[in-house]
Amino acid sequence: MDINVRIAGEAGQGVQTTGELLVGALADAGVHLFSTQVYMSRIRGGLNSFDIRIADRELFGGKANADILVALTKEALDAGGGAVTFYDGEAPQPAIGMKFTETARQITGSALMANTVAAGAVFHALGYDLEKLVSYLGVTFKKKGDEVVRQNVACARKGAELAASAGVKRANPVSVSGAPKSTYNGSEAIGLAAAASGVKCVFSYPMTPSTGTFTFLAGAADRYGIVVEQAEDEIAAVNMVCGAVYAGVPAMTTTSGGGFALMVEGLSLAGMLELPVFILLAQRPAPATGLPTRTGQEDLKFALNAGHGDFARAVFAPGTLEEAYALTRRGLQTAHKWQTPVILLSDQFLADMRKNIAVLDAAYRPIDRCIVENPPPEYMRYEVTASGVSPRAIPGGPAFVVVDSDEHTEDGHITEDLGARVRLVDKRLRKSEGLAKEALAPTYYGGEDAAIVLIAWGSTYGPAREAVDILAARGTPAGLLHFSQVWPVNVGAAGRMLAKAKRIICIEGNATGQFANVLKMVGAVDSCERMLKYNGLAFTGEEIAERVQG
Amino acid sequence: MKKIPSDTDITWCPGCGNHAILDVFNKAIDAAGVDRARLVLVSGIGQAAKLPHYTNANVFNGLHGRAVPAATGIKLANHKLEVVITSGDGDMYGEGGNHFIHAVRRNIGIKAFVHDNQVYGLTKGQASPTSDLGFVTKIQTHGVASLPLKPLALAIVEDASFVARSYAGDKEHLLEMMTAALKHKGGFALLDILQPCVTFNKVNTYKWYRERVRKIDASHDPFDRDRALKLALQWGDEIPIGVIYRSKRPSFESQLGVLGKGTLVERYSEAPA
Repeated sequence: MDINVRIAGEAGQGVQTTGELLVGALADAGVHLFSTQVYMSRIRGGLNSFDIRIADRELFGGKANADILVALTKEALDAGGGAVTFYDGEAPQPAIGMKFTETARQITGSALMANTVAAGAVFHALGYDLEKLVSYLGVTFKKKGDEVVRQNVACARKGAELAASAGVKRANPVSVSGAPKSTYNGSEAIGLAAAASGVKCVFSYPMTPSTGTFTFLAGAADRYGIVVEQAEDEIAAVNMVCGAVYAGVPAMTTTSGGGFALMVEGLSLAGMLELPVFILLAQRPAPATGLPTRTGQEDLKFALNAGHGDFARAVFAPGTLEEAYALTRRGLQTAHKWQTPVILLSDQFLADMRKNIAVLDAAYRPIDRCIVENPPPEYMRYEVTASGVSPRAIPGGPAFVVVDSDEHTEDGHITEDLGARVRLVDKRLRKSEGLAKEALAPTYYGGEDAAIVLIAWGSTYGPAREAVDILAARGTPAGLLHFSQVWPVNVGAAGRMLAKAKRIICIEGNATGQFANVLKMVGAVDSCERMLKYNGLAFTGEEIAERVQG
Repeated sequence: MKKIPSDTDITWCPGCGNHAILDVFNKAIDAAGVDRARLVLVSGIGQAAKLPHYTNANVFNGLHGRAVPAATGIKLANHKLEVVITSGDGDMYGEGGNHFIHAVRRNIGIKAFVHDNQVYGLTKGQASPTSDLGFVTKIQTHGVASLPLKPLALAIVEDASFVARSYAGDKEHLLEMMTAALKHKGGFALLDILQPCVTFNKVNTYKWYRERVRKIDASHDPFDRDRALKLALQWGDEIPIGVIYRSKRPSFESQLGVLGKGTLVERYSEAPA
């Protein structure tokens, strides 16, 4: 069983509230769910949608069409693709009129709880016992008082009655399989990992779709002891981060493509000063302002090449919420171990995808900052070493810590000694070798030695994985090779996993095949097919399977 | 700890106002009782921005125009450090102008010593944001047509907690101003230092400044904002020097609850409550 419920309407109508209510109640009931959001760049009006997909197995992506559509406006009636449609008001056939708003007004005197009426109707249609929703409402609105709980429960019951009296066919309920009750979206998983891993300063300028993590960290700041400051611009943000990590605490910034463009000089500074700067780059379609609220994987090439001059870096691209958490921590630790900038590539799809997964560890487990506590008096910040990593002291201790964006000697002071120049460049770049040695191997999913191998990176993991399952069910065995670290590329592991593939298809959310180009450049793949999508929406498993077979 | 490099390392022109500023700076550190181990000198790019390399301190010599945000990050990570910016007018008021305005708004507890020579030295003689109207350079061939920035007035309008001006040709006054700025505990301190550039500014010379600078009368109340603004706007035949303005705003970092029990650096390993 696999049912997709879509709530669609204008911004400001409660699309998100209704969606979140259903996500909470269904997760609470123990159903596997996966929700995604598609919205326009506006606060009011337009057409936004919130999908909640439920199934008797773990889900990894969304679906193009809905099975049940709750349309809050006339424009939203076409948003389902043949779904059973509930409409708020007098409905044109074949949609079913439900009068959510009017019902809420009758019960509570206000339209506010129309979303609870809609949730009751959807719960009825899904075939679930309404008491699951009722108990969830009781817990959720407890803080707001008994009257609010009572009104919500009355609205939910009325919604179910409306659906019943309209003759809505009840589905065989998707089995409650004891799925985890805790839900996270990508923004939260990244923010939680950062807070728990010891990030102490967050300096950012708001930019969709990175703002969710910035907001999460502001909310967690008092609990974890974090300074969160909205910088005057992205240039300030990244330079503040450079200052904070120099002074001795893990720090990060959150941004999207345009903001990252402003940070590029600061990124190069972090390379030169050998600072463990951590940047969340949540991608959206570009160039320039692009499609601000949509998704894309268009900044890979940029993230890999940003910054004047040569310096070491690592770039991670999580495919799941669990990876978003794990790679935020790993990214921070990598930055500190190698004293060089690390970028975490996410996107709107990952930022907004919400799913019930096992509880992520919120306990404070600060990463090792890799700091030398008692440097000798003759300490030199940039001592030349075999690994390229010099002992890092912080200011305020027994030795001066001198760093300079000019080329410098081992003691950090400005120089035009060209011998020192070459020594220091070589030292800094030796860190790339160490980073390459510990680069994560891609993961493989699907039938062993499959002739067709799909390659994906970052958030395309989920849809590509579902495509592998769909293809297997259709008698076309395929495998998925997923890269959650896109720089340095673990070429050896990739080569071994691709050795027997007859057909290699690199799937990515951009118009040129940026990762396919990277794989070719590093010698991991000679040539491959490219399955590209750049209309601002995420892939679905069904779509990938069809394009593989088509 | 490392010794101060010998004079031969210094790349400033003979007669440059920076020499006097460096000399006085070293005296002011002692006069204000600043522990050099806790002193972080932050600079951007320019001739003034080289000063941190010529003394004994922790140094963050970052990007052009970005001394202020770097210093802000350092101060927030460890507010027990004494964070001092030494940079020029191009760095602070031109490339870094936006950061300057916002540092004043925040009232972050850093000290900014701006070596203001009204010209770009490192790039060889172009106009700076504080160049006077009509100042002719190889780029501004018909003379500067934009009004000079008024940094002190700007800082007072946004209620900076310490605003002063001094002159590199009067070392006694400069020592007094630097010491006062270093001793200021209430947040952002701006000290604009008029500094003759002997190579690229043939207008605003030692003689030019000497004839114009006037010490502010001892009766001036720096908490009088209207009077301070008038002094800050005064430029031309008479240029007031001294502590022009003070306010009693709390510093940015003193308002952050998470810093109340110690610095972020020293509390890093502590589990949150």
